[in-house]
Amino acid sequence: MSIWNYVVTAHKPTNVTHSCVGNFTSPQELNLIIAKCTRIEIHLLTPQGLQPMLDVPIYGRIATLELFRPHGEAQDFLFIATERYKFCVLQWDPESSELITRAMGDVSDRIGRPTDNGQIGIIDPDCRLIGLHLYDGLFKVIPFDNRGQLKEAFNIRLEELQVLDIKFLYGCSKPTIVVLYQDNKDARHVKTYEVALKDKDFVEGPWSQNNLDNGADLLIPVPPPLCGVLIIGEETIVYCSANAFKAIPIRPSITKAYGRVDADGSRYLLGDHAGLLNLLVVTHEKEKVTGLKIEPLGETSIASTISYLDNAFVYIGSSYGDSQLVKLNLQPDSKGSYVEVLERYVNLGPIVDFCVVDLERQGQGQVVTCSGAYKDGSLRIVRNGIGINEQASVELQGIKGMWSLRSSTDDPFDTFLVVSFISETRILAMNLEDELEETEIEGFCPQVQTLFCHDAVYNQLVQVTSSSVRLVSSTSRELRNEWHAPAGYSVNVATANATQVLLATGGGHLVYLEIGDGILTEVKHAQLEYEISCLDINPIGENPNYSHLAAVGMWTDISVRIFSLPDLNLITKEHLGGEIIPRSVLLCSFEGISYLLCALGDGHLLNFLLNTNTGEITNRKKVSLGTQPITLRTFSSKNTTHVFAASDRPTVIYSSNKKLLYSNVNLKEVSHMCPFNSAAFPDSLAIAKEGELTIGTIDDIQKLHIRSIPLGEHARRICHQEQSRTFAICSLKYNQSSSEESEMHFIRLLDDQTFEFISTYPLDTFEYGCSILSCSFSDDSNVYYCVGTAYVLPEENEPTKGRILVFIVEDGKLQLIAEKETKGAVYSLNAFNGKLLAAINQKIQLYKWMLRDDGTHELQSECGHHGHILALYVQTRGDFIVVGDLMKSISLLIYKHEEGAIEERARDYNANWMSAVEILDDDIYLGAENNFNLFTVRKNSEGATDEERGRLEVVGEYHLGEFVNRFRHGSLVMRLPDSDVGQIPTVIFGTVNGVIGVIASLPHEQYVFLEKLQSNLRKVIKGVGGLNHEQWRSFNNEKKTVDARNFLDGDLIESFLDLNRNKMDEISKVIGVSVEELCKRVEELTRLH
Amino acid sequence: MWKEIRDREVGKVQSNYFVNRIASDRISKIELSNNKDIVSPHKGAVNSLQVDLTEGRYLLSGASDASVAVYDVQRATDYEAGGLIAKHKSIFVVDKQHEHGHKYAITSAIWYPIDTGLFITGSYDHHINVWDTNTTQVIMNFKMPGKVYRTAMSTSATSHMLIAAGTEDVQVRLCDITSGAFVHTLSGHRDGVMTVEWSTSSEWVLVTGGCDGAIRFWDIRRAGCFLLLDQSQSQLGRRPPILKRSMATKDSTSKPYTKQRAAQRKLANGNGTKQSPIGKVPAKGSARQRLHPGMLSSHDRATAHYGAVTGLKITEDGMYLLSAGSDSRLRLWDVESGCNTLVNFETVRLQTSKPIQLATTQDSALAFVPCMRTVKAFDMWTGNTSVTFRGHYDCVNCCCFSLQDQELYTGGNDRQILVWSPSKLIPDEMNERPAEDQDNWSD
Repeated sequence: MSIWNYVVTAHKPTNVTHSCVGNFTSPQELNLIIAKCTRIEIHLLTPQGLQPMLDVPIYGRIATLELFRPHGEAQDFLFIATERYKFCVLQWDPESSELITRAMGDVSDRIGRPTDNGQIGIIDPDCRLIGLHLYDGLFKVIPFDNRGQLKEAFNIRLEELQVLDIKFLYGCSKPTIVVLYQDNKDARHVKTYEVALKDKDFVEGPWSQNNLDNGADLLIPVPPPLCGVLIIGEETIVYCSANAFKAIPIRPSITKAYGRVDADGSRYLLGDHAGLLNLLVVTHEKEKVTGLKIEPLGETSIASTISYLDNAFVYIGSSYGDSQLVKLNLQPDSKGSYVEVLERYVNLGPIVDFCVVDLERQGQGQVVTCSGAYKDGSLRIVRNGIGINEQASVELQGIKGMWSLRSSTDDPFDTFLVVSFISETRILAMNLEDELEETEIEGFCPQVQTLFCHDAVYNQLVQVTSSSVRLVSSTSRELRNEWHAPAGYSVNVATANATQVLLATGGGHLVYLEIGDGILTEVKHAQLEYEISCLDINPIGENPNYSHLAAVGMWTDISVRIFSLPDLNLITKEHLGGEIIPRSVLLCSFEGISYLLCALGDGHLLNFLLNTNTGEITNRKKVSLGTQPITLRTFSSKNTTHVFAASDRPTVIYSSNKKLLYSNVNLKEVSHMCPFNSAAFPDSLAIAKEGELTIGTIDDIQKLHIRSIPLGEHARRICHQEQSRTFAICSLKYNQSSSEESEMHFIRLLDDQTFEFISTYPLDTFEYGCSILSCSFSDDSNVYYCVGTAYVLPEENEPTKGRILVFIVEDGKLQLIAEKETKGAVYSLNAFNGKLLAAINQKIQLYKWMLRDDGTHELQSECGHHGHILALYVQTRGDFIVVGDLMKSISLLIYKHEEGAIEERARDYNANWMSAVEILDDDIYLGAENNFNLFTVRKNSEGATDEERGRLEVVGEYHLGEFVNRFRHGSLVMRLPDSDVGQIPTVIFGTVNGVIGVIASLPHEQYVFLEKLQSNLRKVIKGVGGLNHEQWRSFNNEKKTVDARNFLDGDLIESFLDLNRNKMDEISKVIGVSVEELCKRVEELTRLH
Repeated sequence: MWKEIRDREVGKVQSNYFVNRIASDRISKIELSNNKDIVSPHKGAVNSLQVDLTEGRYLLSGASDASVAVYDVQRATDYEAGGLIAKHKSIFVVDKQHEHGHKYAITSAIWYPIDTGLFITGSYDHHINVWDTNTTQVIMNFKMPGKVYRTAMSTSATSHMLIAAGTEDVQVRLCDITSGAFVHTLSGHRDGVMTVEWSTSSEWVLVTGGCDGAIRFWDIRRAGCFLLLDQSQSQLGRRPPILKRSMATKDSTSKPYTKQRAAQRKLANGNGTKQSPIGKVPAKGSARQRLHPGMLSSHDRATAHYGAVTGLKITEDGMYLLSAGSDSRLRLWDVESGCNTLVNFETVRLQTSKPIQLATTQDSALAFVPCMRTVKAFDMWTGNTSVTFRGHYDCVNCCCFSLQDQELYTGGNDRQILVWSPSKLIPDEMNERPAEDQDNWSD
């Protein structure tokens, strides 16, 4: 790889951090606005559910998101503040359906220390000011003027340093905040202050309350007429106001989120750390609060945000599991839950670990992530490909072919589905209940296999069987005409369109028929030298019912030929080479370009450009789609024609910007496919696979497909073992049955196809699994799973003991072969020169695999290296070891064989707090750090002095805005041998927000070109809220902020393709490269993910 | 750390909370390092220590024998006791033998804040030298009117390269590296100036502490000092008292006080507005100037300490100022209001004759103060002694805290530089290797 890197998101963040509800897009429309860390989504509430309106990136990590309505406005404005101290106020522009920036600014200060407990941003309910708590000891006020414009901000000193929450109180004549804080004796109190805007200071507030619940963490201001505030603790809930104090005890729980149900503030939904949803009712007599009541409702994902939408519909945003749309029922279900989950929105976050595997051994990587946390933990299998959303399926064995037919020529929908078997043909149709039901078309011959069917002109249907061609009326369903194969010949292959039939019989006879009103005419007959394997006369010319060309695939000479119609003159003959016969040919046209596709029996696909006038074929290209014969069919989705290649690895062939692209479909093996656009299942496909017939719709083309394996426990480390075809995970299960919460830790073995637990090794009490590895040792052919653990004793701050366990998989069981005690937590394990390299607390330790006299093996320590604070992340390459330290950036160690010692070779002296490292190539190492930055360092072996050689030079810096937990080499897409991007090495990363990203190392020439494009795109594409892209991507930590270098933002570059033509032209002019060329080059990059 | 790392992985803790928790946890475990030694080449008392601000890698020390030395604190020069004790020998030493070396004691040695290419020394020989680190040659020299006590450069400056120097003279001088000339003299102190410190929030604000017991705040763009700290003007707690709910019900006794407070408040307001990066300082400066036309105002007689101000340190967040005086007092000041916060630091004895160098942690929770032969870590908000570091055989002059490594370096009259670091998690290897005789100084 190289130092010129291109960073692009393959899977956008899905961790929902904030949400709010209001009339944003119009005074009459109710919107749900969701923040997913660096993106916001605006949804519209409709009777059908949530309808997405806008999904935009924000150049910042969203710290606060609030809707508010300034005086005199009919709809709400959106206030966003980012973690890097930028804020903006957004308004919806109904004409362009875009966001307009009403105000923006920077609220950073040179004084003060950033808060530990997260930034707080609140808006006075009477819209007099915005309050921000960004630095300890300071409360920033942005006042509104009478016209709702923001005025200059100022700070007010806040005495409380450990602020837990601040909210504005309702119904106060002066803006009043209530502050929940912890004193230095760890007791918690609330205090109120009035904000005196004129004096720019606080005035003592109307009340305060000392010594609350020690777990009090959340304030809920209660709107008028009740006013006051609810203080949510771990064991009590308190209502407090100037003249009332009510408290109730609750079952111990940590409330993570709340949502207000009623506008008058009498009911609230509370979501706790275990994912339980409770209803808090404030009972009151008129304006006097008489008590509190809490009622459990049921279980949801662990909520990070709750938005009550309307009519008992609630949006649950989650950071640890899938977000949900739930309905609160009046009556409990059989399990006593009032919560009904209507919809789940996939969330991969937090991706704690993942591995890249090729389970189908097809050359395409899949990412298996440890996603979610606590009870919502799961494994997610992420692969690039198109999903089929199954809508109906029937068990049917031995399908040999399928065609859909309409009941009349001008019917927009298909009615019949003809399914052919080896010795019969069945016809299915939709009945009135929208169910598939077997029916009959009298004119069809049901006792034999159907070779081909098609709708024909004049309300007719064509059925081709091995003995005849039958023309049937689609209205009366009676046979109108029949063409019989000559005696002694049977039809082997056939094809047809609305007016033509082409068939081939044994002996190389090619027969061409034309369809008239109730009549079939044999127009032409030709005798070819070999048997015919496949045919196609799909009309791609101007007449949609008639083709001038026929494509024919041949046995024996392995060729594909183009004949003219109707005279069956040979125009072109192309020898395919090799010994594999063509099994399916197809004439098709994408974006105005005609192609001839020819699929071979071994899963290869050839494509040619076809000149429809002359019939010439040029530009042959070959790709491998699978290993089994392919059947090609066209279908259309969203008004575009695509080709479905059914095989053991079904693929959709489509065209984008006049380029053919291939995207696999997430189905195992498909033998036949036909489009089935019925009234009940519009735009659907009928798919024959593994003994069943499925009707489903197809996903958007080119999209990551995600499969979830819920575990009910939290998987923290994952590793795949090719040899045993298993995954092993370190997981922990939370037990909340008893009053004491306890955790149980396991090593679990999963089958890599079914993802079922096949074996479990429970760890000791207090023992945590920290790292896992599949490796083999020198002089031992077995492959083992090695697991590093730590004993986390309650009285110890830092583990001082751990183990390395070595397992072998035998008969699907984990067998412990060896164990070695360590003096600390084993944070990382790596295979290293046939030995095992472990990172144990501050030390790197190398273990040999030694054969004992009794024939068993043991781990024996060979050498070590210390001098780290905590060696958390380790990668190796050859004799080199790259260590990511807790706080001391990256260091490079080398193992010296002669001395049997590990020595430090070089180090990056910056104070980066690492979160992941990876080796890009011999000299360049990639790191991710605590402040959401990426950086690369380079080994300087040619340095003149020891000092230069001992220093890893920082060569690239970039603000990713995501917390990376893991890098892995690999790719999410199939590397097509004919594409340029096939050669670009990539690294995949997974983050806390559920982002899967790709870092690709580009050749220098391409990097320079794209850098130019990026800087021009910055000028054309303006950030939402006026936020600056260059500032956003600048490397930023406590010590410094520097411009990004040697990293490119792929998300920005690829948004070039979404620009309108004018803007593309504008950029093309500046760069001096044609729009087509720009599109082509950017398009190529999109195929990296 | 274990729990934080685990929580960070799932995004449960904020990134700065993570860093602060681990740093403060490590700081709480600081003790005399048993695995890191700095080999002091000095033959006189160590008066000044500073780790460079760019990498936190090079420690600069200045001593009474007119020598100055640089050490790499990240990479050891060699190891002892089987690789367990890292020795950090000086990379270079400049002493009297050097052709441009100082003649008398060096009181102050500081790095150029932008990179390690330059460092600045101030000496009792009345000179301030600017050195090129790579060639160890003097590239600039400022002749001062008296013994130099302390020099300082602003770490946040982007538009000036000024060395502020406190000397025997009553005037504070600003030496400009770009021109090699004095650009400014700040008059106001009535005696020598032992300590100077730049604000961490504004590049224009300088704080000086004099032998006259005064602490003065200067905006170097304007003439005269704009704030003079008065030990009798105080506030309890971390914030000036908030406005009472109803001003009208104020009884007469508290009125003058309130008035005074209100005046103070006005100065303090408007801070941190987004338009003016340097905050409220100009407004405050001009207001204060109006308050004292000339040097005879009664305000101008206020003192911060009885006796000399020997040490100053502004907290990392720029909100508080810690001062030490020859009255053996430590005071914590609210920078914005200029009030004494009345934190009652436990009584200690401080050196009286010499400036001392104080240090604070990043989160301002602890202040490290040389107290005769020991160094004490005080809790900044309660004033309680949190730890007493005993190790030097004679008076300690300077403390320097490395924010990056959570390590404390101290230098004293015993000519030693000691390293105090978070204790290693596990005394690893000790039992895997033959036990070695460990001498860790801590007696």
